[in-house]
Amino acid sequence: MRAVNYNPKLRLQVMVILVLLSIIFNIFGGYFTRFFIAEITILSIFAISLDFIASRGGMVSLGHAMFLGIGAYATAVLSTNYGIPPFYSMFFSIIIGLFIALIIGYFIVLLDGIFFIMVTLALGEMFHAWVFTSELLGGSDGITGILRPDLSSFYIDLNQPLIFSFYTIFWLVIVYLLISKVTDAPLGRNLDAIRQNSDRASAIGAYKKTYKAIAFSISAGIASLAGSLYVQLNGFISPELTHWTVSGEGLIMIIVGGIGSISGAILGASVVHIIQHELSNIINWWMLVIGFGFILVVLFMQDGLWGLIERIKKKCSS
Amino acid sequence: MILKLSNINKSFGSTIVLEDINITSEKKECLAIIGPNGAGKSTLFKVISGIIKQDNGYVEFNSKSVNALNVEERARLGISQSFQKNSLFLEMTVKESLMIACSHKYKVSFNFIKPLYKNNFISEDAIKIAKDIGLQNYLDIKSEFLSYGLQRQLELGIAIACNPRLLLLDEPTAGMSPAETKDIINLIKKLSKEYSIIIVEHDMEVIYNLADKIYVLDRGKLIFEGSPNAVKNSELVQKVYLGI
Repeated sequence: MRAVNYNPKLRLQVMVILVLLSIIFNIFGGYFTRFFIAEITILSIFAISLDFIASRGGMVSLGHAMFLGIGAYATAVLSTNYGIPPFYSMFFSIIIGLFIALIIGYFIVLLDGIFFIMVTLALGEMFHAWVFTSELLGGSDGITGILRPDLSSFYIDLNQPLIFSFYTIFWLVIVYLLISKVTDAPLGRNLDAIRQNSDRASAIGAYKKTYKAIAFSISAGIASLAGSLYVQLNGFISPELTHWTVSGEGLIMIIVGGIGSISGAILGASVVHIIQHELSNIINWWMLVIGFGFILVVLFMQDGLWGLIERIKKKCSS
Repeated sequence: MILKLSNINKSFGSTIVLEDINITSEKKECLAIIGPNGAGKSTLFKVISGIIKQDNGYVEFNSKSVNALNVEERARLGISQSFQKNSLFLEMTVKESLMIACSHKYKVSFNFIKPLYKNNFISEDAIKIAKDIGLQNYLDIKSEFLSYGLQRQLELGIAIACNPRLLLLDEPTAGMSPAETKDIINLIKKLSKEYSIIIVEHDMEVIYNLADKIYVLDRGKLIFEGSPNAVKNSELVQKVYLGI
């Protein structure tokens, strides 16, 4: 893939602007805007997790919605069935996602391109089918009545939309910092080296399988966090969240935003979600428009909106 | 003794590529394997580095068998290689490529907190290696934009950045102009003072200036071994090369 971006400086600048924008909209927006921002933020967290393995690890996953589902269902089941406070359930669900990914990753991370895609797709669909029939997980009805974490001891009331979307933005910032750290660190650069030239990476003694399994696991943990936040936002979860099309939409978001840029993933998630939302209000063939737009991006702008920003910045400075 | 190959055999289907190869290499020795095209040089090279498994026979490195180890594991023991065709991290700059190779030398490749570019000792080391291979003026250029000859130099640089105990060079001058070839030969000469080197080459002129000992390979068999002078004067070798 030639379209993978890497530019730590610009990444931080774009991130700061995006966060400031979301804070401003959050403060001055109404109930609906706040809910919408929380939704976009959660999607962005998911997009970042997908972006990380697709760009740095070269592992394009069509089964990543499985981890979104694992995070969501683990939070729901732990808090409703076992009475564990939602805030702790969230951490448990991240850990569960991490471990499941570590085990799966051990077997699949060395698969190449299409095989990796197909295996993740198969795993995701298996999980989806299981969720659909599982009594514990509520089958096709899903689980309802999940409460938001109680942070009243910190004087935070997450049931207020304003506070809750700040809470999701807080998590987005944490995820962004974590992933940028990993990307710039020797581990991330080595992952990038493996993607660019796997044989050469072996010849310098890289621990290919271990790096990739760690990356896959970190990414799955973040996807689980996104899933957990999703149930906290909506209070219910249905099997649709684990369908492979959710992973597909995630991939569309990162391609539109610019693969590998991290803040581009947030940009992509925002743009795609906003267009989806606005268009579906006006016309009912909005999917066609999005599909067409996506094809244009792939044909003419493979580095996505990120590439556009990079070029504009270059022009301005020269 | 740094490397010992005993009774190596390898065939692809019914074609015998290597037949009963025995080679020993001493520390700090520059050893060359030469032979005409199709002699099995590259296969032998891959057997040493672990890319190809031999059918039978033993590869010993530092008096320990490395038969069961793959490329990555052999690289970690200190068998470092440069490829016949340039094999680089094309989207990375020269400095970054060298730093990544160095990250294994300093065992920080699992660090996921501190940015690679902030590791000062690695960065200094990478700059030092870049100076050694003559790329100090190209540090921030992406590998894909380097000329072929410079890429060849970087290829060598990445191999030495892993802190090798044995350096395997597969036709280091392949496809280079005479002037560039001269540069590379001087570079390898400099390196041969520090490292144990095995060079695989089909151009004899390159080797005469470098090697302490030469093995001549023809159709999968070792037909001659000796000093460069002995090889030069050997009728058998001339016959193989010139086809008389």
